[in-house]
Amino acid sequence: MKKLLSVCMVGLMTLSLAACGSGDSGSDEKVLKISGLDGGYGTKGWEEVVKVFEEQNDVKVELTLEKNISETLRPVLTSGQDVPDLVYLSLGAEGRLTDTMVAEKQIADISDVLEMTVPGEDVTVEEKILPGFTEALTSSPYGDGNMYLAPINYGPCGLFFNAGLFEEKGWEVPTTWDEMWELGDKAKAEGIALFTYPTTGYFDAFFSALLNVTAGSETYTELMNYDTEAWESDEVKQAFEIVSKLATYTEENTVANANKESFTKNQQLILDNEALFIPNGTWLPGEMADAPKVEGFEWGFTALPKVGAEGDAYSTAFVEQVYIPSDAENQELAKEFIAFMYSDEAASLFYKYGAPKTDADNNIIEDEYNPGAVMPITTASTKIMSEGDANILFYSVYDNGAKSNPVGFVFKDTVEGVDLTSAEGILYGTVNEVVNGTKTVAEWHASVIEAVKKYND
Amino acid sequence: MNKKKEKRRFIAVCLAPAIILFTVFMIIPTLNVFWMSTLKWGGLSANKEFVGLNNFKILFEDMNFIQALQNTIFLIVVVTIVTMVFSILFASILVREKVKGQNFFRIIFYIPNILSVVVIASIFTAIYDPSTNGLLNSIESLFRPETWETTKYLGDPNIMLYAISGAMIWQAIGYYMVMYMASMSSIPEHLYEAASLEGAGKIKQFFSITLPLIWSNIRTTLTFFIISCINLSFLFVKVFGSGPGGVSETVLSYMYKQAYSNASYGYGMAIGVIIFLFSFVLSALVSKATEREPLEF
Repeated sequence: MKKLLSVCMVGLMTLSLAACGSGDSGSDEKVLKISGLDGGYGTKGWEEVVKVFEEQNDVKVELTLEKNISETLRPVLTSGQDVPDLVYLSLGAEGRLTDTMVAEKQIADISDVLEMTVPGEDVTVEEKILPGFTEALTSSPYGDGNMYLAPINYGPCGLFFNAGLFEEKGWEVPTTWDEMWELGDKAKAEGIALFTYPTTGYFDAFFSALLNVTAGSETYTELMNYDTEAWESDEVKQAFEIVSKLATYTEENTVANANKESFTKNQQLILDNEALFIPNGTWLPGEMADAPKVEGFEWGFTALPKVGAEGDAYSTAFVEQVYIPSDAENQELAKEFIAFMYSDEAASLFYKYGAPKTDADNNIIEDEYNPGAVMPITTASTKIMSEGDANILFYSVYDNGAKSNPVGFVFKDTVEGVDLTSAEGILYGTVNEVVNGTKTVAEWHASVIEAVKKYND
Repeated sequence: MNKKKEKRRFIAVCLAPAIILFTVFMIIPTLNVFWMSTLKWGGLSANKEFVGLNNFKILFEDMNFIQALQNTIFLIVVVTIVTMVFSILFASILVREKVKGQNFFRIIFYIPNILSVVVIASIFTAIYDPSTNGLLNSIESLFRPETWETTKYLGDPNIMLYAISGAMIWQAIGYYMVMYMASMSSIPEHLYEAASLEGAGKIKQFFSITLPLIWSNIRTTLTFFIISCINLSFLFVKVFGSGPGGVSETVLSYMYKQAYSNASYGYGMAIGVIIFLFSFVLSALVSKATEREPLEF
């Protein structure tokens, strides 16, 4: 009897272990599985768009948006089982899962989506997307002209400031770097630092724009293709030198707060009139909505100043991506969904439910949303945004003469032990050391070139 | 004869679940780490390329890794010594002396241990805040001329590692103190009575009675220290960042970065192998070096 019991117990334990693994798939109904990040834009926009798509196409959509999606999705993608049909997680996002997918060539080619007609409209996806987005390395990471990642939710990154302070002091927003330094000296006399940054992670957008400012967009393309000579050129050196000069104007506590725990303290410096400029994206006003501000505070936003009167001003167009993993089952349906995302109907929903509104105590107010999430489509500023919209301040930066530039390198085989582009990597992370004074600009430039060479070997 | 056989079979069946679980969840994954450390692999796809010991070759030339290893050793040494001294001191005071509110102190010291690292990190960002509002900086400002800059605990490359060890020590003292208290309170009272009759003072008693009698406990905790320093420092580095130039990077955070952020999973596993061997060898060495004839009471 005892023996029987013990055998039963062992059997039970093994069974309970085995049960963890099995799944079930019963009905024939087509199910589109979407997994993605519950990030700054929240989940409501996605939920609404999915609802409309379900109705129009008579399909079922399983939407999973999580804050830690890169952690929960990684084991799923590794196993190759139950892989989502569409993933919403951008390149460079925390955990860098999408970057790994690109490196591992696990993303399906979706170039044919461009020829599809946008549902309910008579234009193709290619015609609907703003020019430049689909050829950028963020959509076509291998530089072969094929689109692997579909661009969504774009926004300009530039320098934020307190427009109220500029008005009060009678200062002009600098359009060249020389004016910038002049302003820096003026501000210093009043005890205000010229510059601060949340973390070095924001230098991907800032430094890309700066490289475009000093070296122009053609050289920039070469830079992003790991061209060593381009990296060694004088125009590129100039960008490094501007950062090192900016370092001397940087608020003294910036480096100590440039970590995940206290980066908002750096952002607070702008609200407290302790620093003038901070590089950031359009989500910043929302992120700091409930933070205490000095009297007369008003958000201002500008592109990066040009070099000399003849040059161009640049503002990085930050863009998020969705993609189809190559192991996905319902790739055709996922492509239809992508095409639908570019329709005015979907784009309006994404925009309308941009981000949940919060009250003074940072509690989410139910059923109230701030507009956000702008799809990179030709109708974005005409049909999607209404007049008097606060977001027009940011998106009009390109109408005011600034050029837009993409961000991101072409894909190269990973080099073990070399981290060029992450927030703490050689190219951006070293800014902390330059500001601290532990590294000179020459050392920084040399280490970048050394790393670029390693990618070419 | 038959009974003996049956008994043996019964033992085997009873042990089976534990052995199966241990093999599936401990032994196989560990062996897997060794296998994966010989691959050039991003971690997601089936494209695995066998590269032999190449990952290790790169690893020993990788200055970032060497720096991370140095930082880890620094943390193990500093955190272990300081935590041990303080927790033994507090434990012997709480056990041997009649302090008012003993239980209260016991709880107070233990609380940091039940807090999650994220909470501890928030507390310490307030303590280490670089502005004059920071807890430490406002204390310092009492003694410092106003024109001097504040101390950048989490930004100055010369201080950051000490700042992180500070948080780790604060977190660990209570846990080890409770462990030492448990073994101290089992030391029979008559030993101390006899010693004081012979004229031994408190300090003499501590070194001649308390310390030798809790020695085996101290040895065990040394292994705990090594393991927890390696593991915990990772979590602190995750929240505080690895500092300018990776001054506070530790082996585990570097492994994580390489395996996940840099899409070089095989290389990350090579780092994992080194950490595995390192902690094994270090524990063995420490255990060997602290070996003493066990004392009985």
